[in-house]
Amino acid sequence: MIKYILKRILHLIPVIFIISICIFGIVKLTPGNPIGSNLDPRATAEEKAAERARLGYDKPIHIQYIEWMKRSIRGDFGESYLYKRPVNKVISEVIWNSFILNVVVFILAFLISIPIGIISAVKQYSKTDSFWTLFSLFGISMPSFFFGLLLIFGFSVKLKWFPINGMINPGSTTTGFARVLEVGHHMVLPAIVLTISSLASLVRYTRNGMLDVLNQDYIRTARSKGLSEKVVIYKHAFRNALIPLVTLLGFQIPGLFSGAVILESIFVWPGIGRVMVDAINQRDYNLMLALMMFFSILTLLGNLLADIGYALVDPRVKVDER
Amino acid sequence: MKRKLSLLLAVVMMFSIALAGCGKKATDSNSDASQGQQTDAKEDKKEDKQEKKVDNPASKRANAKDTLIIGMTEAKGELLPVYYSTKYDAFIVQLVFDGLMTNNEAAEIVPHVAKEYKVSDDHLTYTFTLRDDVKFSDGTPLTAKDVAFTYTLLADPSYDGRYKSVVREMVGYKEYSEGDATELAGIKVEDDHTISFTFTEAKADNITKFDMGIMPEHHYAIEKGNIQAIKDKMQAFDLVGSGAYKFKKFEPKQFVELEANPDHFRGEPKIKNLITKFTTAETSLQELAAGSIDVQLQVPSNNDNLSQIEAPGYLDIAKYPANSYGFMMFNVRDERLADVKVRQALVYGFDRAGFIDLYYDGNASVLNTPLSKVSWAYSDDINSYEFDPEKAKALLEEAGWKVGADGIREKDGKKLSFVWDTYTESKYVDTLIPLLQADWAEIGVKVEPNLMDFNAMVDKVFTQQDFEMTNLAWSLTIDPGSNYTTFHSSADEPDGNNAGGLRDPEIDRLLEAGSKEFDFEKRKAIYQEFGKRMNELVPYMFLNQGDQWDVYNQRVKNFKATSFCDWTYYILDMELVD
Repeated sequence: MIKYILKRILHLIPVIFIISICIFGIVKLTPGNPIGSNLDPRATAEEKAAERARLGYDKPIHIQYIEWMKRSIRGDFGESYLYKRPVNKVISEVIWNSFILNVVVFILAFLISIPIGIISAVKQYSKTDSFWTLFSLFGISMPSFFFGLLLIFGFSVKLKWFPINGMINPGSTTTGFARVLEVGHHMVLPAIVLTISSLASLVRYTRNGMLDVLNQDYIRTARSKGLSEKVVIYKHAFRNALIPLVTLLGFQIPGLFSGAVILESIFVWPGIGRVMVDAINQRDYNLMLALMMFFSILTLLGNLLADIGYALVDPRVKVDER
Repeated sequence: MKRKLSLLLAVVMMFSIALAGCGKKATDSNSDASQGQQTDAKEDKKEDKQEKKVDNPASKRANAKDTLIIGMTEAKGELLPVYYSTKYDAFIVQLVFDGLMTNNEAAEIVPHVAKEYKVSDDHLTYTFTLRDDVKFSDGTPLTAKDVAFTYTLLADPSYDGRYKSVVREMVGYKEYSEGDATELAGIKVEDDHTISFTFTEAKADNITKFDMGIMPEHHYAIEKGNIQAIKDKMQAFDLVGSGAYKFKKFEPKQFVELEANPDHFRGEPKIKNLITKFTTAETSLQELAAGSIDVQLQVPSNNDNLSQIEAPGYLDIAKYPANSYGFMMFNVRDERLADVKVRQALVYGFDRAGFIDLYYDGNASVLNTPLSKVSWAYSDDINSYEFDPEKAKALLEEAGWKVGADGIREKDGKKLSFVWDTYTESKYVDTLIPLLQADWAEIGVKVEPNLMDFNAMVDKVFTQQDFEMTNLAWSLTIDPGSNYTTFHSSADEPDGNNAGGLRDPEIDRLLEAGSKEFDFEKRKAIYQEFGKRMNELVPYMFLNQGDQWDVYNQRVKNFKATSFCDWTYYILDMELVD
C-alpha cells in the first residue's frame, strides 16, 4: 500500500509540470496586463515600458516561465502586483477565513445530508422523499446572492439577531473564546446559505448510493435471513453505500480552501474568493499563478486521497502493487 | 417519463414557494405592499423605518460615543504615501501623514506643513519654510530632512511605486536614479525648517507636486537602492506619520482602525477613534440604516438609493460633482471619424440628457469638455450640443454621408457602421447600449457593442490602439494641466493616454502654453480656450460628470466632502453628537 501511494505521488510530478505549463501559458496569453493598475493613470508610454521591463514581462514567454518555475520550486511565488506584499502572505492572510467557513459548512452538510439521504432512499417515493427532493432542489436553485440578502434582511436588519456582514466587529478587541464566539456569530448566515446550497448534491449522492445497495441480492438475502430492518439498513446497506461518498469526500478537499465569490462579497467575508477574482481582473500574474497552481495541486491530492480511501473501504478494489 | 414530469412539477412548485415566500415577507413588514416582486424586499425597509421613527440606532452602538465608522470600498493595505494606489488607501494615508502643501475647496494649493513658500524669478526653484510645531507620532519633530528623505525616495533606483513623476523633472533626477549620485541635487536642505526644490523646467503645475505625505527619516531610512526595507515596514503596517490620526490596525479585507493623535499640529481631533470598514454595495445602505456604520462613501446617485436614504430620517447626503467624467472615445485615425462633422453629428444625435435621466435619475450633468464644471478652468461659454437629430442629419449630409438602401449612411463605399468596444458587468454600459443604438439608428448610424473583459479592452485600446470607439472614464486632477498627457499629440503613442489619436496643433499649443504660464488669470484664459477648442473638436463624446454622494448619519456633525477635498480634509471639524 505504501509503495502504491509513493508511486502515485511520483506520478503526480510530471502531471504538475504539464499543468504548470498550461496555466502559465493561459495566464500570460490572456489579453491585458497588470501594468496600468499600479501606475498613475496618466503615466506615459515610456513609464509603462519601464515598468514592464522592471517586472521582466518584456522577455520571451519561455524565459519567463523558467524564471517563474525556478522561484516557485523554492517556494517563492514573488510579490503580488496588486497588494505589494509577497503572494504567500496575501494568500495566507485570507485563506484560513475561507477554510474555517468551508469546514463548518462541510461538516454541517455531511451531518445533515447523510441521514436525509438514507431516509429518502429507504422510503423511496414517499412524502418524506419528495419533500427532501424538493428541498434540496430549492437549495441548489436558489441564487445565493438573493437568498443571502433575504437572510440579511430578515435576521440582521429586522430581527437584529446577527450582524449584517463581516467576520468580526470593527474595532473588536476580543480574544480567545470570546473571539471564537464572535466569529461564530458572524458566520451563522453565510454558513446557512452555503450549507443549504451544498445539501442537494450530497443528499442525492447518498440517496442514490443507498438505493443501489438496497437493490442488491445480498440485502435481499439479509432480509430473508430474518434480520431486523434496522440491522439490514445500517449494518449491511449503509456501509456499502458509504463507498461513493468517500470518493466525493476526496473531491471536496480543494473546495475547502476555495471561496464563494458572491457570498463573500455579500457578507463581506474576508476570504480567498474575492482575492482570486481581483487577481484575475487586474492580471496580477504572480497571484493568479500561485492560486491556480495551489488549487490544481489540491485537486490532484484530493483525487489521490479519494483513490486511497476507496481502496481502504472497499476490499474489492485491489491495489496494483507492481 | 413519469419521473421527468414529477421533476418538472417539483421545479414549478419550488418557484411558486419562493415567490409566495417573498410576497409574504413584503406584507409582513409593509402595510400596503404590492405582492410578489422580489425587489419589494428592498423597498419596504424604508417604509418600516418611517413607521418606527425611533431614535438613531447608530448612537446605541457599544462604541458609539467616541468611534466614527466609515463604510467604503476595500483598501488594499498600501498605506505609505509613496506607495498607495487606490483612493481608499489614500484616505488612510491622508489621515496618518501630512504633506507640505494641500489644496482647498477652490482647488487652490495652500500651505499645510509648510508655513509659506517662495518661487524664484525663473520659476524653477520652490523654497518652503516649514512650521516648527509639527511632530511625528513618536514624538520627534518633523524637519526639512524628513521632507528631503521622502522626495528622494521617489527617485530611488529601486522605487516601484507610482509617483516617480513627482520628482522626474527635478534637477539631478537621472544622476540619482540611474547614476551613482548620493543625493538628489535638486533638493537642498537649507536648515531644519527650510528646504528648496529645483526643477529643470518651469511648469505651472509643479506646485501641485508638494502634497506627498512626509515620512520620518529616522524611522524609514534606507540605503540607496534598497526600497524593500520600506516595503517590509509597510507590509508590517509599521506606520509613523504626523497626521491627525495614528494608525492602529489593519485587518485585511475587513477594516482599518485609527486613533486620534493628541499632538497633531492643528489640534487634537474631536473624534477619538476612527474606523474605516470595508462594505459592499448590496448592503451598505442597510448598514447605515441599522447604524453599524456612520458614513458610507460613494453611494451611487439614483432615486432608488435616495428613497432608502431619506426613509430612516437620520441620514443626510453630502452631494458634490465627482471629479471625473465618462465619455465615448472616438479613434480619429479612422477615416470616417477623422471628420469633425461626423463626430459632432454623433454627439448631436445622441440624447445624452436622456441617458443621464435614465441611469442617474438626473443626478449627474452632461459634460461638454474635459474639465470639471467646478474647476476654475471651466467656462460655460461652449456649445452644449443639445440633442438635435435634425442637425445631426444635416451635418452628415454636409459631410457627404448619404443614407444607403439599408438605412445606414455611406460614402465612397464606406458605411457609418461602428464597432464599439466596451466592458461587461456594468449597469452603466447596459443602460447605454440600447439608447445609443436607437438614437444613432435614427440618424443613419449603426453601432454594435463588443463586450469584453475590462482589462482586455484596455489592452486593445491603449496598447494596440485597434478600435473604432470605446467608452471609458477619466478621473480629473485638481489642476487642468494634466490634460497634457491625455490630449497632447506627444501622448499619441502605444500605451499613451491619447489612444484616440487626436493631433491638433491648436490643442498642443494651448496645452504647452498653459503649462508654462504662471499668471493665474492668463492661465485661466488659456485653459478656457482649450476647453472651447476641445468642445469644437469633440474627439470624445463627453457623456457625464456624475454626482458623488457620501451618505452620513446626522450624529456626525460637520461631515463634509467636496469635489476637490475629500472628507479627510474636514476631519478636524467633525464631531459626534447624540
